[in-house]
Amino acid sequence: MTAALQYLFDALSLGSLYALGALGIALIFGVMRLVNFAHGDVMTFAIFVLIAPTTEAVAPLWVGAWATPLIVLTVLGVGAALAVLAELAVFRHLRHATPATTMMAAFALGFVIQNLLLALHSSRAKAVNLWPQLNLPVDLWGARVPALQMLMIGITMALLVGLAWMLRHTRAGLEMRAAAEDFDMARMLGVKANRVILVAFGMSGALAALIGLFMVNQTGLVDIRMGAPMMLVAFVSTVIGGLGSLMGAVLGGFLIGFVSTALQAWLPLDARAFRDAFVYLGVIALLLWRPNGLFITGASRQRV
Amino acid sequence: MPRTHFPSPLGRALPALCAGLLASGLACAQAGKDIVVGFANAKSGWLEAYDTPARRAALIRIDEINAAGGLLGRKLKVVETDTKSDRAQSAKAGLEALDQGAELLVVSCDYDFGAPAALEAQKKGKVSFFLCAEDIKAGVQGVGKYAFSSSVLGAVQGATMAEWAYHKRNMRQAYVLLDTTIEYNKGLCTGFDWMAPQLKGVTIVGRDNFKNGDASIAAQISRIKALPREPDAIMLCSYIPGAASAVRQLRAAGIQSLILNGAAVDGSYWLDSVPGLSNFAVPVQGSVYGDDPNPQVEAFNKTFATRYGARPSNTFAYPGYVLIEVWAKAVQRAQSLDADKVTAELEKMRGEPTLVGPRTFSKDIHHQNQARLLISEVRAGKPGIVDEWTISNPVPLPVLLKR
Amino acid sequence: MKNFLLRHRLETPVLLCLALALLAVLSLAGSNSLQRTTTEVLIRVVMVVGMFIFIGHSGLISFGHMAFVGIGAYGVAWTTMEPSIKQYVLTGLPDLLQQAALPWVPASLLAGLLAAAVALLAGAVILRLNGIAASIATFSLLAIFNVVYSNWDSVTAGSSSIVGIPTPVGVWQAFLFAAGAIALAHWHGISRFGLALRAVREEPVAARSCGINAWRQLLVAFVLSALVCGLGGALDAQFLGVVNPDAYYLGRTFTCLTMLVIGGSASLSGAVTGVLVLSALMELLIRLETGVSLGGMAIQLPSGSQEVVTGLVMVLTLIRRPAGLMQGREWQWPRLTHPSAPLPAASLEMQPR
Repeated sequence: MTAALQYLFDALSLGSLYALGALGIALIFGVMRLVNFAHGDVMTFAIFVLIAPTTEAVAPLWVGAWATPLIVLTVLGVGAALAVLAELAVFRHLRHATPATTMMAAFALGFVIQNLLLALHSSRAKAVNLWPQLNLPVDLWGARVPALQMLMIGITMALLVGLAWMLRHTRAGLEMRAAAEDFDMARMLGVKANRVILVAFGMSGALAALIGLFMVNQTGLVDIRMGAPMMLVAFVSTVIGGLGSLMGAVLGGFLIGFVSTALQAWLPLDARAFRDAFVYLGVIALLLWRPNGLFITGASRQRV
Repeated sequence: MPRTHFPSPLGRALPALCAGLLASGLACAQAGKDIVVGFANAKSGWLEAYDTPARRAALIRIDEINAAGGLLGRKLKVVETDTKSDRAQSAKAGLEALDQGAELLVVSCDYDFGAPAALEAQKKGKVSFFLCAEDIKAGVQGVGKYAFSSSVLGAVQGATMAEWAYHKRNMRQAYVLLDTTIEYNKGLCTGFDWMAPQLKGVTIVGRDNFKNGDASIAAQISRIKALPREPDAIMLCSYIPGAASAVRQLRAAGIQSLILNGAAVDGSYWLDSVPGLSNFAVPVQGSVYGDDPNPQVEAFNKTFATRYGARPSNTFAYPGYVLIEVWAKAVQRAQSLDADKVTAELEKMRGEPTLVGPRTFSKDIHHQNQARLLISEVRAGKPGIVDEWTISNPVPLPVLLKR
Repeated sequence: MKNFLLRHRLETPVLLCLALALLAVLSLAGSNSLQRTTTEVLIRVVMVVGMFIFIGHSGLISFGHMAFVGIGAYGVAWTTMEPSIKQYVLTGLPDLLQQAALPWVPASLLAGLLAAAVALLAGAVILRLNGIAASIATFSLLAIFNVVYSNWDSVTAGSSSIVGIPTPVGVWQAFLFAAGAIALAHWHGISRFGLALRAVREEPVAARSCGINAWRQLLVAFVLSALVCGLGGALDAQFLGVVNPDAYYLGRTFTCLTMLVIGGSASLSGAVTGVLVLSALMELLIRLETGVSLGGMAIQLPSGSQEVVTGLVMVLTLIRRPAGLMQGREWQWPRLTHPSAPLPAASLEMQPR
C-alpha cells in the first residue's frame, strides 16, 4: 500500500511538471494555432538570469542571491517579457502565415536563444542551490514526498483552477476563449486580438519560467539544454489532451507522467532502457483511438 | 611561439589559415623546419567546454618542449581547426589540419566526435590522439592502428571504485544506477560489474537506469528506498548534469550511502548543487585541488593558472598534457615521425612515467586498462584526495569490447 | 531542345540537376574541404527532397523522416562493413548480415528499401490520422526509432558510434543520387499520385467525393519519401564512415525541415533552393568564423556566431517570405511569352478550417 502510494506521488509530481509545460503550450496554441517550439528556450533563458553570465565553470549568483519573492517575481517577469518580445518581434508578423512557417520560425527563434545562451554561459551546467529546504521529504501516510513535489502538485492544481476561473468569469478570459474558438469572428465582434495574444504569451512565458524554477530546485543546476526533453513531452501532451483545451493539456501531461513512472517502476530491467519507446507507442495508440485528443473542443472538431 | 587561439579582434590575421570562399585547398603546408601538431577540437558548441582544458594543457607541454630545444631538433608548431561540436565538421577540421602538414592529429575528447577526424588521420597514415576519450574504441578497435588515447578507460574507473570501496570502505552491498545516455557511462558500469563478482562477499542488491535529461528520478529513488537495508554504496554511472541532479535527489531523499562515480564528475564547480555533500568519491588521474602527491602536478596547475587565468577545473586537463608527453618521447626514441615507427615505440611503453602516473600501451590496447588512480572524496562539500588505488588485474580486452 | 523539355515537363528537374552539376564541377576545382562540403550539400538535397515528397504534396508536417534516414544509414552499416569488425562490435546481427559485405550501390538501394518497408508498416497505421495528430504520430516514430537504436546494443552498438563503414561516396556519387532523387520526386509530382495527393491537401472532402482514397495516396507518398530518405541516410553513412543514433534525431530534423520551409515546401525547386541557400549561408559563416582576409584586412567572427546568425536569418526570411523563397513556384526558363501555369501554390494546413 505504501509502495503504491509512493509511486502515486512520484507519478503526480512528474505529471505536474509535464502538465505545467503543456499548459504553457496550450495557452498559445489555443489562441494562435501556433506550436511554440521556443517555449523550452524561454524557460531556459528565464532561469539563466539567476546567475551572472560567465563562461567560467562556476558562476556567481546574480538574481539568485536576492530575496525569495524578488527571485520569483523577477524570473517570472523575465520569462513573460521574453515571450512577449518574441510575439512582438516575430510572431506578430506571421499572423497570416501557414502553421508550418510559424512552427519553423518558433524553432529558429528557440535556436537563436539557445545559441545566445551558449555564447554567454558556455555549454557547461552551472550549479545553483535555491531553497534547499524544499527538497526535504514530507511524510504522508507512509509515503515520502519531497516538499517541492507537494508544492508543484499544489501549484499546478491551483493554476488550473485559477485559469479555468479566469477563462470563465473574466473579460480577458472570455476574449481568449472567443479568440481560440474563432479568431476572425472574435475580432469582428470587437475583441482586441493583439492584446489577447500578448496576454496569452505573457502568461505562457511566466509559466515556462515557473517550471524552470521547479527544475532548478529539483536538479540543482542550470543547463542550456534543460528545456528540450520536457518541452517535447509537453508538446505531445497538448496534442493528446486535445488541442485548444487547457484541461486536456493538463490531463495529457499527467497521463504521460503516470505512464512514464509506471513503466519505470514495473518494466523488467532489460526493457527499462526502452521505457520512452513504450510511452510513445502509447501516444500513437491513444491518437489512433482519439485522433482529436481526449477533450474535443469545438475548434478542433472536423466538420465532415 | 605556438599559436593560441582566442577569439581575435578585427585586424588579427591568422597566418597561414586563410580559407576564402572558393578557397584553394592549397593549404600552406609547412614542410621543412617545424613539426606541425594539428588540433581538431571543438572551439564552439557544447563540446567546447570539455575539449578546451585538455587542449590548453597540451599546449603547455608543447611550449615546454619548444623551450627545451624542440623535438628532433625542430620546433613544434600548432595548427588549430574547429569541429564546432559536429561530426561532419570534425572530419573536415581533421582534413584541414592534415592538409597543413600535421604529423600528429589531436582530436576531440569524445569518441563519437573525435572519430571522424581520427579516421582521416588514419587514412593518411598519421598518428592521432584523442584528448581524453575513455572508450576502448578510441584506438585500434574503433579507428585504426595509429589511434591512441592517453586517458584511463571508463571500465578501469568503475573497477577501481569497486575494489577501493570494498577494501577501504567495507562495501558489501552495492546498488548500480546507470545513466543510459552515453557510452562512457556504460563503460563505467561494465568495469564495476566485472570487478564486483571477484570481491568476496559483495552482492549487487539492485540495479536501475535513468536518462541524463530526466527531470526527476523519483521512481528510481523509490526503488532504492524499498530495499530492506540501505546499500553500502551506490555506483552512479553518469556525468554532469544528470549526475549532479541525481546526487541532489538521492541525498534529499535521505539516502546516505557512499556514492561512487567516474572521473567525469570530478571538479568542485558543480558542488553547489548539493551543498554539504559528503560520502562521495570519484577516481581521478591527478588532483586539481592542490593536494596531489606528485609536486609536479601542482606546479602544472600553477602554470595553467598563470597562463589561462584559472586553475584547471577538473582532472580532464591532464590527459592533454600526457598525450604530448608520451608522443614526444616516442618520436624521440624512434628518431622519426613515421607513423609506424612512432606507433611501435608507443606500443613498447610499459609503465612509462608521466605527469600523472605510469602509462602502458600495447599492440591491442592503445589505452590504459590498468592505472594508478587517485581517489577524490567530497567531505562536507569539499573535495580532496584521500587515497590512491590501482586495480589488482587489468581489465581484459573482451570485457572492454563488450562495451 | 527546349520544346522537348517543355513537352515532357522535364524543364524543372533538368534545370535543378544542371545547377547541382555545376556546383559539383566547381567544387572539383576547390580544396578537399570544399569537396566534402559539396558532398554534404548534395546528400542533404537527397534528404530534403525525400521529405518534400511527403510533406510538400500532403501538407502534413512530418517530424519522423529522420528515422528513415537513420534506418538507411544503419542498414548500410550492416551490409557493407567488414565482417571481421562486425563480429565483435555488432554481435547480435543475424549470420546473413554478419557475413555480408556488399558493394555500395546495392547496399544503398537495399537500405532504402528497408526504410521504405518500415514506412509501409508504420504509415499504414499512423496515416489514418490527419492534421497535427499525424505530425505528433510521426514525431513519436522518430522518438521510438531513437530509443530503440540507442539501446539495442548488440545490433546497433547503441549510443556508441559505429565506426569503420567504407566510404566510397564523393561528389559525383552524391550527385548521381541527388539527380535520382529529384527525378523520382518530379515523377511522383506529375503522376496521378501526386495530383491526387495535392487534391487531398487542398480539399479533402471534395477529393473523397471524387473517389480518391486519402489514406492510400498518403501511404504511397510516405513510402516513396522514406525510400529517398533512406537512400540519403545510406549516402550519409558511407560519406562520413560513422553512424550514431544521435545524428538522426532532433537537430537534423529541424535543420532539414527549416531548409524545406525556407525554400518553399510546396515545390520541388523550393526544397532544393532551401538546401542550397541555407547551406551556402552556413558555409560562408563558418569560413568567416575561421577567418578570411579580404584585401589585406582580416575578418573573423567570434566562435559560435554562425549558429546565431543562421537562426536570425531563418527567422527574418520566414517573416518576409512566409511561403518560402520559391513560394510554390518551380525553376523554369525565363519566358517572353505567356508563362505556363506553375504547380499550384499550397497552403500547408494543419487542420481543415
